[in-house]
Amino acid sequence: MKHEQQHNPPMKYGMAIDLDKCTGCGACMVACMSENNIPFREDESDKLVSISWMSVFKLTNGKAFPDTEICYLPRPCQHCEGHGGHSPCVSVCPATATDYSAETGIVSQIYTRCFGCRYCMGACPYHARYFNWWDPVWPEGMEKYLSPNVSPRMRGVVEKCSFCFHRYQLAKNKAYLNDERTVPEAAYQTACTQACPAGAIVFGDLNNPAHQVHQIVKPDPRKGNKSRNPRAFRLLERLGTNPKVYYLSSREWVRRAGDNYLAHEKTGQVSNVHH
Amino acid sequence: MSTLDDKAKGVMDDDAAHAEGGEDTGAGGFIILFFIIGFAASMVLGWVVFPQFLYSQKQQPFSFNHALHVGEVGDGCESCHFFREDGSFSGIPKLAQCTECHEEPMGETEDEAIFVEQYVTRDREVPWLSYSRQPDCVFFSHVAHVVGAKMDCVTCHGHIGESESSRPYEYNRVTGYSRDIWGKNIAGFKRNSWDRMKMDDCAQCHKEAGIIHTSSVQTERDACFVCHK
Amino acid sequence: MKVDRRSFLSFVIGGAAGTALSPLPWKLIDDSSIWSQMWPWTPVPPDGEVVYEDSTCSLCPGGCGISVRKVDNRAVKIEGKKGHPVNDGGICILGLSGLQLLYGPTRIKTPMKRIGERGEGKWRKISWDEATAILTEKLTDIRNRGEAHTVAAIAESDSGTVPALLQRFMTAYGSPNFIRTSSQVDADELAVKTLFGATGRAGFDLENADYVLSFGAGLVDGWGSPVRMFRAGSLWKEKNVAVVQVEPRLSNSAAKATRWVPINPGTEADLALGIAAVLVSQNMVDTGGVSGFGSWKSDLLSNYPTQKVSQTTGVAADVIVDLAKGFAKADRPLALCGRGKGLVAGSLRETAAVYALNALAGNINRTGGMWAVPESDYIQWPKAATDKLASAGLRQPRIDGAGAGRYADSRYLPNRLADGVNGEGPYPLQVLLVAGANPCHDLPDSKNVRAAFARIPFIVSFSSFNDETSAMADLLLPDHVYLERYEDVPVGAGLARQVIGLSRPVVSAQFNTRHLGETVIAAARAMGGSIADAFPWPDYETCLEETLGEKWDTLMETGVWVENDIDPVADTVRLAGMDAPAIQAEGDVDRFPLLLVPYDSIRISGGTIGDPPFMIKTVADTVIKGKDGFVEVNPQTASAAGLTEGDMATLSTPRGEVRVRIHLFEGIKPGVAAMARGLGHTAYDGYLAEKGVNVNELIGPVEDPSSGHDAAWGIRAKLAKA
Repeated sequence: MKHEQQHNPPMKYGMAIDLDKCTGCGACMVACMSENNIPFREDESDKLVSISWMSVFKLTNGKAFPDTEICYLPRPCQHCEGHGGHSPCVSVCPATATDYSAETGIVSQIYTRCFGCRYCMGACPYHARYFNWWDPVWPEGMEKYLSPNVSPRMRGVVEKCSFCFHRYQLAKNKAYLNDERTVPEAAYQTACTQACPAGAIVFGDLNNPAHQVHQIVKPDPRKGNKSRNPRAFRLLERLGTNPKVYYLSSREWVRRAGDNYLAHEKTGQVSNVHH
Repeated sequence: MSTLDDKAKGVMDDDAAHAEGGEDTGAGGFIILFFIIGFAASMVLGWVVFPQFLYSQKQQPFSFNHALHVGEVGDGCESCHFFREDGSFSGIPKLAQCTECHEEPMGETEDEAIFVEQYVTRDREVPWLSYSRQPDCVFFSHVAHVVGAKMDCVTCHGHIGESESSRPYEYNRVTGYSRDIWGKNIAGFKRNSWDRMKMDDCAQCHKEAGIIHTSSVQTERDACFVCHK
Repeated sequence: MKVDRRSFLSFVIGGAAGTALSPLPWKLIDDSSIWSQMWPWTPVPPDGEVVYEDSTCSLCPGGCGISVRKVDNRAVKIEGKKGHPVNDGGICILGLSGLQLLYGPTRIKTPMKRIGERGEGKWRKISWDEATAILTEKLTDIRNRGEAHTVAAIAESDSGTVPALLQRFMTAYGSPNFIRTSSQVDADELAVKTLFGATGRAGFDLENADYVLSFGAGLVDGWGSPVRMFRAGSLWKEKNVAVVQVEPRLSNSAAKATRWVPINPGTEADLALGIAAVLVSQNMVDTGGVSGFGSWKSDLLSNYPTQKVSQTTGVAADVIVDLAKGFAKADRPLALCGRGKGLVAGSLRETAAVYALNALAGNINRTGGMWAVPESDYIQWPKAATDKLASAGLRQPRIDGAGAGRYADSRYLPNRLADGVNGEGPYPLQVLLVAGANPCHDLPDSKNVRAAFARIPFIVSFSSFNDETSAMADLLLPDHVYLERYEDVPVGAGLARQVIGLSRPVVSAQFNTRHLGETVIAAARAMGGSIADAFPWPDYETCLEETLGEKWDTLMETGVWVENDIDPVADTVRLAGMDAPAIQAEGDVDRFPLLLVPYDSIRISGGTIGDPPFMIKTVADTVIKGKDGFVEVNPQTASAAGLTEGDMATLSTPRGEVRVRIHLFEGIKPGVAAMARGLGHTAYDGYLAEKGVNVNELIGPVEDPSSGHDAAWGIRAKLAKA
């Protein structure tokens, strides 16, 4: 008597980050670190090995004083859907340690399955994945603040942003108790979204027209989920990675910084995503 | 090569001498006997001695009588092991829960005296050893199974509710986890659904119940993330 | 029976077969793979019941409501409190890092007495009884000699019951020397006093403003109540409010503004007055709410013609006119000042000039305007009775000279403390009590400050952390951290309403520390006489509850008390205080061709709290690399000195010389060098210590001629290849 369990329509959790509002304060980074038990070392100034699931990049328009402009760009894992869930990292993982969930659209990372080959890091065009070169060590006493919802990672494995998947699990727990099968928009928000003092991050189900993120992004499934919002863009959108993190900016130079454009090309063009 | 051959030859000569001496005792039978001895010894080692070495025992702080409590409380297991408002499972009760009834000693057993003297009066949590504790990488939702799938406690925890005393807590010296995860049987054989709590057992039950998710793009089965963190 | 080779091999083969058929190898493989997947030395955080406990963050003056997630009795995460009138769910990077302070190894865990040389770090643990006895014996001894005035106390704040208890102690004891650390609050209070003729502070209805003109205020760099500012910034974006940032460097605030106006450092007051002159000359002012306009107007027009202002400030004349027009045309324009986070007092001239713009726009005590907010007055204790010894001590002048002579208008002058101790004061200081302040790192001209501290015979630190000042102390009486204590948190920080938050113990005290209020009450009671009489409360909590009166219940219930209807201290602005000379940077132009300005970053805690590890982790590798700090310069400036990105250089000023790396930044005015404030700690632990340079080593205080407040905005400097 095999039957597939009754599913809700598949969700696609994603983000819209308003770069006009982002001030580069870094609260999202620390909210993430403290939510997800991210370790730290005495010297974190070598950014190639410094673990920060959420990273805020500083972009400049490259112009000389006084026409210089700055824009900050927070970069969580982009949770690429690729085509049919074959995101760059998922496709190369030989250990089934990273996976794409058709139910939530979240790219997962299972630390106990990962054996540290780092193919996924090479495949990820966003540098969103981090390798644990060292065992995590908290100064004496500080392990007291570690959260039981997220396992501390051991040396030798890759880790990355999970869209605070544990918060989804906990929200589902609560829904079960109330005999509900769906998680309301407000019940599942990532730590960075919740913390952002500028309210620059909006998180929710891109498939759900009632969710704010859908209303902002208005993804167009016929064009590889490109946003219909003229302010919106995705990072390296033309690679076909089909990310679920959308950025909003009213500045053309910022939108251009999201991809490699030739001089004559305009932003907002998506070449055909190869199938 | 030649050196090796010479050596081999020497050994063979030596061997032949022994064989000659023992010819009348029947060399074939002897060889089989040694095979059987080796076989039996290693079987004993693997099945009997190894588990003794692999597992170590600890005693619970004091013995707990589940049967007695189930009789006294009104709501079965859920009287003490309940769901919190946020849907999380409370697991082993905290001292505060116990002292709702046990502010004063109830009954005259030695265990009751230990409990009240060592823990209640000193306001210390009882350091219970959890037989069912899964590794840290596991996310298990009690509420999904108990409320969502309407399963009973016995399916996974067996008849612990009928126990009159606490059995010793056994843990694996290599992994540090409770023996109940792998099961009492060293070979991993199980007769009851609660005998083992490994991932395959989860999968088996899900398969039997027909709860098949296909959310994983990699495996077209359940995504690892559902139960692992 | 002989065991021959064949039998032995047979035995081994039998053994192998038996082993393969036993669970031994298979179980061991399984177990060792589990073992290797989860090393036993990786911590496993215990699970438990999740509860949220609300409190108020007091790591900065912002007064945000926080909601702390606990698992059983462990605090695991700090989040912003939803619905809170200040931050409504938002939280800043420092607030998020609070648990690293609570549980961190830089806590001072017990009272201690110095046994080695000063600063050597050798301590003996003592009991609280012994600690209180050492303190009170020392203080009683000095007082009985009639030298009560030679004791000083320095604290981060003077509002709320805890600073008030310390102040009260000083009064009852007989010392005039209670000192509050420096910040823009000093200049703000003085400007309100000068312009409105009343005691109060400026509040800004930012959320309803429709044009914001910021003279260097780090709107999103930690100015005011930081989370409220981030929220206001987003609101402005949504409402298309024009935000103009006047600043020599493209700070985050400038980057987020709709317009960045680069200006010569230190000439903000001139630009404000230049804009005022345009407003006046073009009849774009509303003089309904101002007095003394006639004489002020003629001074203004003759001294600040647009061309001259343009020359001084480096801002083009048409830009000045444009800013004036934008300001005048807006319905609810607001002008703000206080460089960066407002950690330096600043000059009265500048603050008064900027506030005058608000007055001239007719935007005082109005929606979207600047409000003259009264100081909170809920602490209504009867005046502490002073005995003869106390009265004699209180008649003495202050060690920092505040409140008398040429400093008559100022309340506290921490920037003069070092000079006062180093021989310029009226008497030598015998004891210094330090509470919630880290003067050895935060005061300008650190070398001079350290020399002063070395001269003070007895220093008592109440700090919770092993910061630079507690390292110099003789007696450590560690306070609880904010997550372990009750405390009222009156919020100023530019809010156009009155807010009092309540800090509540979220976790029990982690170490053998004691609430500062408790320590003060205990010390006062131990000293007896009129000092003990001034402290009728058995403990701090009773004091707090009685003081708050009917507000207590509201605070216990909701965690915050708000008064939205402000009764302004005055309505009319008397235009004054703008005729003082401009504050010049110290140093000779020929020897030091550049101007060094400190800048504030929200990711670097600039106040008393040292940056926790999480925050340091977010600092860019162009600010700290390894232990090296960076100085930001325009590529033009760098190439003139033969320097390029990452080069090691010597940066010298009249006050000191350091080695730094060069970071090229197009967003900074040529001729200006900028350095982050809050780094270069020598105390704390390896996560913070020795990283970067303490800019206070390079910059000395510059006295505002109107008040004596520190008005230094930078210093002249020189860069050379190292």
